[in-house]
Order: sequence, then C-alpha cells, then structure tokens
Amino acid sequence: MVSRRLLAVAGAGVLAASLAACGGGDSGSGGGGDAAGGGAPWVLGTTDTVTSLDPAGSYDLGSSTLQYQMYQQLLTIPAGSNTPEGDAAESCSYDDPTTFTCKLRPGLTFSNGNELTSSDVKFTFERNLNIADPNGASVLLASVDSIETPDDQTVTFNLNKPDTTFQFVVTHASAGSIVDEETYPADALVANEEAVGSGPFVMAEYQDGNQASLEKSESYKGPREAKSSQVFVKYYKEPSALKLAAENGEVQVAWRSLSPTDIKDLQGSDSVEVIEGAGSEIRYFVWQLGTNMGKEKAVRQAVAEVIDREAIAQRAYDGTVDPLYSIVPPGFPGQVDAFQDVYGQNSVSEARGMLQQGGIQTPVNLTLGYTPSHYGPNAVDEATELKRQLDASGLFNVTLKSAEWTQYQDLYKQNAYDLFQLGWFPDFLDADNYLAPFFVDGGFYENNYSNQQVNQLVAKEQGSNKDATREKTFQQLQQIVAEDVPVVPSWVGKNTAVVAPGMQGVEETLDPAFIFRMWTVSNEG
Amino acid sequence: MASRSGSLPRYIVQRVLLIIPMVWILLTMVFLLMRVAPGDPVSASVGGRLTEAAMDERRASLGLDRPLLTQYFEYLGGILRLDLGQTISDNRPIIDIVKENGGATLTLTVAALLIALVVGIPAGLIAGRFRDTTGDVGIRMFGILTYAAPVFFTGILVQLLVAEYGGDWPTSSASSPITEFTVQSRTNILLVDAMLMGDWSAVLEVLQYLLLPALTLGLLICGIFIRLTRVNVLQTLQGDYVEAARARGIKESKVVRSHAFRNALVPVVTVIGLQVALLLSGAVLTEKTFNWPGIGSELIDYIELRDYAAVQGIITVFALVVILISLLIDIINALIDPRVRY
Repeated sequence: MVSRRLLAVAGAGVLAASLAACGGGDSGSGGGGDAAGGGAPWVLGTTDTVTSLDPAGSYDLGSSTLQYQMYQQLLTIPAGSNTPEGDAAESCSYDDPTTFTCKLRPGLTFSNGNELTSSDVKFTFERNLNIADPNGASVLLASVDSIETPDDQTVTFNLNKPDTTFQFVVTHASAGSIVDEETYPADALVANEEAVGSGPFVMAEYQDGNQASLEKSESYKGPREAKSSQVFVKYYKEPSALKLAAENGEVQVAWRSLSPTDIKDLQGSDSVEVIEGAGSEIRYFVWQLGTNMGKEKAVRQAVAEVIDREAIAQRAYDGTVDPLYSIVPPGFPGQVDAFQDVYGQNSVSEARGMLQQGGIQTPVNLTLGYTPSHYGPNAVDEATELKRQLDASGLFNVTLKSAEWTQYQDLYKQNAYDLFQLGWFPDFLDADNYLAPFFVDGGFYENNYSNQQVNQLVAKEQGSNKDATREKTFQQLQQIVAEDVPVVPSWVGKNTAVVAPGMQGVEETLDPAFIFRMWTVSNEG
Repeated sequence: MASRSGSLPRYIVQRVLLIIPMVWILLTMVFLLMRVAPGDPVSASVGGRLTEAAMDERRASLGLDRPLLTQYFEYLGGILRLDLGQTISDNRPIIDIVKENGGATLTLTVAALLIALVVGIPAGLIAGRFRDTTGDVGIRMFGILTYAAPVFFTGILVQLLVAEYGGDWPTSSASSPITEFTVQSRTNILLVDAMLMGDWSAVLEVLQYLLLPALTLGLLICGIFIRLTRVNVLQTLQGDYVEAARARGIKESKVVRSHAFRNALVPVVTVIGLQVALLLSGAVLTEKTFNWPGIGSELIDYIELRDYAAVQGIITVFALVVILISLLIDIINALIDPRVRY
C-alpha cells in the first residue's frame, strides 16, 4: 500500500510538472469551506442538467431543483400534497378571479442580509417578464397584467383573465423564485456565481455541469428548514455512470434518471434501496387529425380500444411505470380514468365493431412515429410494443417511423405520422396543466383537433375558484377527450430514487410535484 | 548551396500563413454543418412544450431568424476579435468553458499520453527485439486490439470490471464532491491545485479517479506506439551501423540498447505530436463515459442542445490546439531534418 502511494505521488509529480505550466488563471472558485453545523453531508447524483441558477433564465427541472433549495417562492407545494402552502408568504388568496393577493412573512431576508419585501416580489415577476429569456419560463406568467405593492408586506397581482392556476404558477421555481432587487439587474441575467436567494440553502460553490455545493441557510424563515448542514449535487452525463456511483456509495441518493433496466437491477442490490413514489411524468400518443386515418374518429377509438397499457408498462419499461387511463394522471383533484370508463378492458371485437360502424376497411394502414433521441431508449420499445399489439389485432397494419428529436417536431406537425409519441412533464400540480396546453385549438403539438366545448370548459375551469366546479369540469374534459380521442394516454412514470443506507426523508419528497426537497433529507448513516 | 525557398524562417512564415485558410475553412464548415443539421437551439430545448408561435418568438430574440450571411459574418467577426461569445442554452461565456473545463481535458490527455508511452514504447521495443516469438505475437495482438476497440466500449468494459472486482475504486468523475469543494481552484487543474495546497490525500484521490479514464484513452493510443516502435526497431536492427557495431565485437545487448533502440525512437517522438487530434477526439468519448468534467463532454451536451455558439466556439478551440501543435511539430521536423523545407 505504501509503495502504491509513493508511486502515485511520484506519478503526480511527473504529471503536475507537465500540467503546471499550462494552467489557467485564478478562477477564485472553491473555497475550502468547512460545513457549518452538524449532520453528515450527503451527495445527490443526477443526470439532469442546469441551464441557469437565475430563475429568469431557466425552464428545466435541473435548474429548478437547485432553485427550490436556494430561493423562496410565495407559496410552496408541501411533500405529499397538491395544495400550495405559504413559503415567503404567510398567506395568499384570490380577492376575485383576476386579483391574487399575498401577505409576506415578517422579517424575511436574503442570505446576503438584504431584506425581502413586497418590492422584491414585484421586481422578480416584472423582471422575468421583461427579460423574457429564450430559456426562461416567462411564458407561465402570461396572465400577469400588473403588480401592486400597497405596503412592504403585501403584493397584489392583477391578472388579465380569470386564472385559478396562478396560485400554482407562483410555486414554480423558474416562474416564482423571489430574487433580490439590489443584486439582480432588471434587464439581464446574473452569473451563476452571483445567484443569491432566501431559501433553506445557500449555494456555497457551483461548477457548471460538474457539481454544486449547498449549505444550510441560517437566515431562512419558513416551513422548509433544512435538516442537513451541507449537501452536494453531482452531475452525471450517463445514467450508467450514475448507477455505478450509487452502487459504489459515491452518491447517497441517485435521483433522475436511471433506466428501467438499471432500476430493476438495483432493486435486487443489497447495498442500496430503491424507493418509489407517485409520479406525474406521462407518455401518450397523439393523433394527427390532418391525416386521412387520423381524422377518422372510428380509427382513433379502435386504437384506444385495442391498446394494452399494462403490456407496454411491463414489456417496454420492466414495470417501472404505471398504465395511464386518462391524460391527467391519478392523484390530481378531478382526475378520472376516463379511457377505462369509456373502453373498459381492451377488446379486439369491440374495436372491429367500431371500425365497421365507421365504414373503415381493415386492415387500417397507420404510420406510427417516435423519436429515439429525446425520451430515452425505451421509447423504441414502447412504439414497437404498440405496433405489435395493433398488428396482432388483425385490424391494423402499422409502419414505424422515427426521427431525431428536432426533426421529429417538424414532421409530426407536417402530417408525417398518423399517430406519434410525446411526453409531458407538468409545470405545476394542477389538472389544467394536462388539459389546456393539449386540447385548446390543436394544442402545442398542432394536431388539428378543435372542439368548442373543450375550449369553453377550459376557460371555465381557469376562471373558477371553486374546487368542486373545477373538479367537475376536469372530469367533463377528460370524458370528452376519451370519446374524441385526440390523444391516447400510455403511462405515468414513478418518482424513483436510489438511496444508500441511513438516508432519511427521501421517501417523503418523492411525490408528483417532482421537487426534490433536500431540506427534508438527512444522512444518518 | 541552399535556395531561398529552403530557408527555415521562410518555411515557418509559409506554415503560419497556411493556418489562416485552414482555420477559415474549418470555421465555415462548422458554421454550415450546424445549420444544415435539422432543428435549432429552441426546438431542442423547449420543443414539445410550446406552440410554434411561442418558439418563433424565442428564435427571434436569439437572432436566429436573421439571414444566414449576417449570422456568419457576425460569428467570424467575433472570432477575429478573439470573442468566442456565449452559449445559447445556458448563457455561459465560452471562454469560461475553456478555462473551467480545459484543465480536466488537459489532465486526462497528458495522463493518457504518459500511459500510452509507458506501455507502448517498451512493448514495441520488446516485440521488435524478439521478432516472431510468442511475446511478439502477443504484443502485436494487444496493440491491434487496443487500437481497434472503440474507446467508449473499452471505457464501459473497464468501468464494469472495476465496479465488480475493484472494491471501492471510483469509476467516474474527477474526484469526490468533498475534495472538489475543499481544494481551492487556482489553475483550474484539480491535480495541480491539490498539490499547490499540499493536500496529498487529495492528490492521491485525484490520481485514483484519473487512472481509469487515462488508462482507457491511453490504451487507444498505445497501440500506435507499439506498432511504430516495433517496425522501427526491426528496421534499425537491420541497419548498416548496427551490423558494423556487431562486427566490432560490441556486446549484443549494448548494440540493441545504444544503437537500435535509441534510433528507433526518433520517429516516435514526431508521431507523438500527431496523436493530439486522436487524443482529443478520444477524450470527447472518454469524458462522456467516465463523467469527466472536460471540454469534450461539454461539447457533446451542447451538440445535443443544438447550441450553435457553444459548438462553434469549442470546436474552434480544439482546432486551434491541433493546428498549433502540428505547426510546432513541423517546425521541429524542419529543424531536425532540413529536407522537409525543400
């Protein structure tokens, strides 16, 4: 062992001599800081990437994960709940469907010592809209008309239309993280090393694409006090490397995104535990109503009748996902398994009847599109399994076609596929986020579906602040979607983490919100 | 008498001037290839979430709706001002990527080169000295295999083997998060920074992390050194001066060591420089496989994001490194062997 070390040191000397002359300037990063407080530090490993630590410059889960730790939002989604609760705000409520008022907690400060007042909140939202960064989430704030601050503790949002979803928008890290108006410029993003917030953690060090180091904030006031004094986030390029790191104990928590095969493999491991919670990420197939077959409702319904979602979940994803029977996943208020209600158990004879009634000759030739470069390697397995099911029914003759992600987006809008695969990750925890972007006048994927009743119902639920009314409207919408079949839901993912022995609180945070609440987690190992 | 065209200064000036069209052609190719590929930074990042109109707005705010020629000249202008710009996908100055991630790539490539030399040259010498023996056949097969095996395949294989049988030996990254946090960054080269701090446990740890990726990349290159050294040893062993040495009664071991081996290594030295391009391309895949925080793995991420600015900037840096090293090798060659100037 001694000789190995001596060799290593000697080797280091040779190597360093070669390298030292080529070194760059002093970056000033790092710091040799010592973690304050008790509790063992722990490492979260992930394959997510971070676009920006400035909330105005990002709209991706990797950035949001860090922003949730560093910043406060007015409201937050507590673990295991769908209902926002106060974070920077003591309370928020709708004065009427277009006026949303929040009262801040007293004595809030940013980690740099600056006070957090209603003026910072107003600045935050106006800044996000003003910058409208191409990578940002300002699109979520489209309903903000103006913001008023009657006093230091009160902020009022005037909305340009009735929008009940705004209470969820303010919980979103990229749309609602409050920044310091004395530090952040009004018209430009701040560099990652200058990012500062008032959240339960402070960013001690951040290296783009490599790692982040978070320390517990002593100035945080709110319901999210951190249980750990220091947390590291390690970024991995490949799921396989993350899996090995989890097995080797190099990371104590591996969260997003291990392949189904890796998860299955780790479930049998003695060194780690695989924990699963309810998820909210969905996959679905979209009908392009601009094609000859896509416009035929009988064809769409027949496919909805034949598809065996359980087989897709098992064969394409090793049972690591759950079958999805509505475009809104289970757990959301107002969710109903509408496709199961309408079509029941998959039945070839029922499907044949539908096609006959619609005057459609069989076998129906269908082109099924998928992309292997955006939704992971199992997307191919999923498309292949659906083709197998449809072909096996004898009613369809499916041709699979694939394209790289960026090209795929053009092709599905240009009617290259009758049916194509897409995925969705919610912006906020409300059923509206699974309905409004999809079914109002063709949705973002432009599939030529338009139904005035759907448009009216979406406007109705967005304008209502009565839970019962909204839930009933959601149910009606899901029912119409199941009957019109502009999409065929396929599966909903689970929120899965791989944890080392001794880690506490991970299970708590694995819910459909997909917020990794590091403040709830501690390393007791 | 040497002609004017054969003078060393003139040769160097010619070679330096050739860099300009080389770089220009390369930059133009990179610019065009990125635009020819389907998609753009907006559709790569937020496609499948926003309507086409919303995405067009984002394209316009990035200036991607402007004529291609305008974008091209703006890009060339930036390069002329030595301004590589900033990435589209995460607003990061490209020069920062080079500074922050370049150290890791440099560490990996230098370590890989050392491994390739340490393994490849002795193996080549032995193979050449003991031609057609079992050892020679074995070494030749090893050389062919390491050169032919794709670097990502070797990398994954090494990772899996070490994960299974290597105990706690790390299989990815450049160090543990705690070491990266505690080692103060001065040169952006973690190993050097750890040494400057006098933190020898960190140095050992960084070397531990370095071993697998450096070995993987080093094996790729060492096949070339094995074959080249072997061939040169075979040639020198048949040289007149070697025969003359033998005829003078010098011991065979000394003939081989002092005459054959030494002369066989001269061409190897010039080939080392030519391996830089292969090292850098191998580093891209090695970094990705081993989660090594170098420029190469960043390049792959930015290609996936269709981040024109980042890809153009990083490839420009890679190209300049290769071109400058080639220039250096050419000059050294011209100094050693005047025939190349004519």
